[in-house]
Amino acid sequence: MKTGIFICHCGHNIKHTIDVKKVAEYFRKYPGVTVSEDYPFVCSEPGQDMISDSIAKQGLDRVIIASCTPSLHGELFKDLLKKSDLNPFLLRRVSIREHCSWVGDDVETNTEKAKRLILAGLYSAAHYVPLEEKVVDVTKSALVIGAGVSGLSAAAFLSKMGMQVYLVEKEAELGGHVRALNNIWPAGKDGKDIIDEMVRELAGRDNVEIFTSTTISAFEGFFGSYEVTLDTPKGERKLTAGGAIVAIGFSPFDPSIKPELSYGKDKRVITTLEFEEKGNTLKLPEKPRIAILHCVGSRDEQIGKPYCSRVCCINALRVADAVKENYADSYVESFYMDVRAHPRGGEEYFEDTQEKGVLFTRANVAEIVPTPTGVMIRGEDTLFGETFEREFDLVVLSIGMSPPVDNKLISSLLKITLDKDKFFLEAHIKLRPFDTAVKGIFIAGSCSGPKDVEESINHGRASAVKLFGFLNLGYAFVDPFISYVDPKRCSGCRMCEQACVAKAIKYDEEKRVVHVEEAACMGCGLCNATCPSSAIGLKGYIDCMIDDEISAFLEAM
Amino acid sequence: MAEETKNKNPEIVGFACSFCTFKASEMAGSLRMKYPEGVKLIQVPCSSRVDPAFVIKAIFEGADGAFVAGCHPGDCHFIKGNYFTRRKIAALKEMFDAFSMKEKLRLFWVSAAEARRFVEKVTGMYNEIKERKNEREKA
Repeated sequence: MKTGIFICHCGHNIKHTIDVKKVAEYFRKYPGVTVSEDYPFVCSEPGQDMISDSIAKQGLDRVIIASCTPSLHGELFKDLLKKSDLNPFLLRRVSIREHCSWVGDDVETNTEKAKRLILAGLYSAAHYVPLEEKVVDVTKSALVIGAGVSGLSAAAFLSKMGMQVYLVEKEAELGGHVRALNNIWPAGKDGKDIIDEMVRELAGRDNVEIFTSTTISAFEGFFGSYEVTLDTPKGERKLTAGGAIVAIGFSPFDPSIKPELSYGKDKRVITTLEFEEKGNTLKLPEKPRIAILHCVGSRDEQIGKPYCSRVCCINALRVADAVKENYADSYVESFYMDVRAHPRGGEEYFEDTQEKGVLFTRANVAEIVPTPTGVMIRGEDTLFGETFEREFDLVVLSIGMSPPVDNKLISSLLKITLDKDKFFLEAHIKLRPFDTAVKGIFIAGSCSGPKDVEESINHGRASAVKLFGFLNLGYAFVDPFISYVDPKRCSGCRMCEQACVAKAIKYDEEKRVVHVEEAACMGCGLCNATCPSSAIGLKGYIDCMIDDEISAFLEAM
Repeated sequence: MAEETKNKNPEIVGFACSFCTFKASEMAGSLRMKYPEGVKLIQVPCSSRVDPAFVIKAIFEGADGAFVAGCHPGDCHFIKGNYFTRRKIAALKEMFDAFSMKEKLRLFWVSAAEARRFVEKVTGMYNEIKERKNEREKA
């Protein structure tokens, strides 16, 4: 066996706490190791060339790359092996960055740990065999869950490219929250117009099927052919989708969770969304006194919402602006923590609002108390360090975004994960912001974290583009990590048949042994762990690989 | 590793499901969270892939502890693999208990987003085992 070990410095990321030279030196004398090199960036062009040169010159038959975590650059190194005429499943990635250099500070212990981890890779790779990737058919259709702006823009793109699109909306009307918004900043368009435009685009297409007042009752299968069951007003409907985009949006924060704000108890305390709806019909005195509270339901550890909702500062500015437009003699005071008017033109808008005479007070508001002549705000001015009490005719709470109400339901149906704030978690925050951990399922819009209208539309389109790239091929490669049965060892006890969740194991009455239906096998390895005669193995994770990894961690060095 | 330090610091072998705990451990790394170097992970496609024999082997070969970590009940990518794990590990724990080494085996549920929980769990286990070890040495 000719194994090549390539250890990455990752600039300073790995090198600063692991003595890479020592590790490379250590493995050079190991039996079966032909090459053991360290390199500043293995993923760079020269780094890749070094590996392919070694494969060609030394005739390597196992490649071990000790670098970042396997999910990063996985495809890159697989392709590199393919180009070098080596089966990509003879590659072993050892994570010495996320699992070693970044989690410990001591150079000596980290170096020892890195040695152990690479040794485990070396032992395990010795059992590797060339595998062929499975090819599965991909249905050219997409399920879009949620018909808000992001869902609609995703559906519009996919249908334009000729994909069959199933658009599912829980409510009776399309458009989500945006439909109710007027005069959306910065363009000044009404939400209804934006939605109508998008819906008109979809309505003219044959390849779009829209389900309103519909929920999803089951979601099964794998990338390429997800079996979806919809609960429509006309009854149950089953369909097959190649992939899915989750765009179920957000739910507005409910300020009644904070009783000190008197929301719901006094009509003069309203939210920005309510101001949006009925701002023009409010009965206000000639010279109204209006207070606006920022960060209601955002940046608040106590109620479990430590994140910034990103859109509410602009909303608060819009309210202030609207009041100043309608009542020139009004007194408008904005109580803020920080003003984060982040979108393009936001800072200028903030300046404009200040020039129009809106007062900005950096404050922590303690409570809102109804009085006979108005509502009293008590709080602390955090710049002057003084407490204050002021009376207003109307208080507008600039509410933030909370996770969607159906987040738990969708996450358990689709087997995708929620993050700590209960929004959907992306596969990688920088490199794969639209993907989930499940292949073929993407997230779009504010269900993955607070986003404004523009960002939601962009996010929806981006997810649609990524899904289109997956679906349009019509086929997909799936990891060949499936189970196989050694009929000579199989005793026919059928324990695996009972255990298999995917019902991929079938019993042969004549031969009295089982076999695996390859297309159905999900590759969890449960049968492998269940078999009392060790007749079943899960390719890529067979017993002796894991056994040897354990030995590598614990044997004397 | 020098013999004395090796004896003092526990070695823990963890079996981590690649859909949740392994992802959480990656995230813990990216967030530069620290946990003891004695904790080493073996990636498995699902926690149900873990044969109790692996855990026993790890203990036999000298590990001071072993843990199996998977997705929260109901969140399994393979639909219900982790329910099988739960039953298997419960049975294995009974057996470990008979040999008075129940504390050497743990089962955690850690989702892909719970990097902090992962670090807390492994560090907690490590410290507990280390304490017991020190006590035993003193005795």
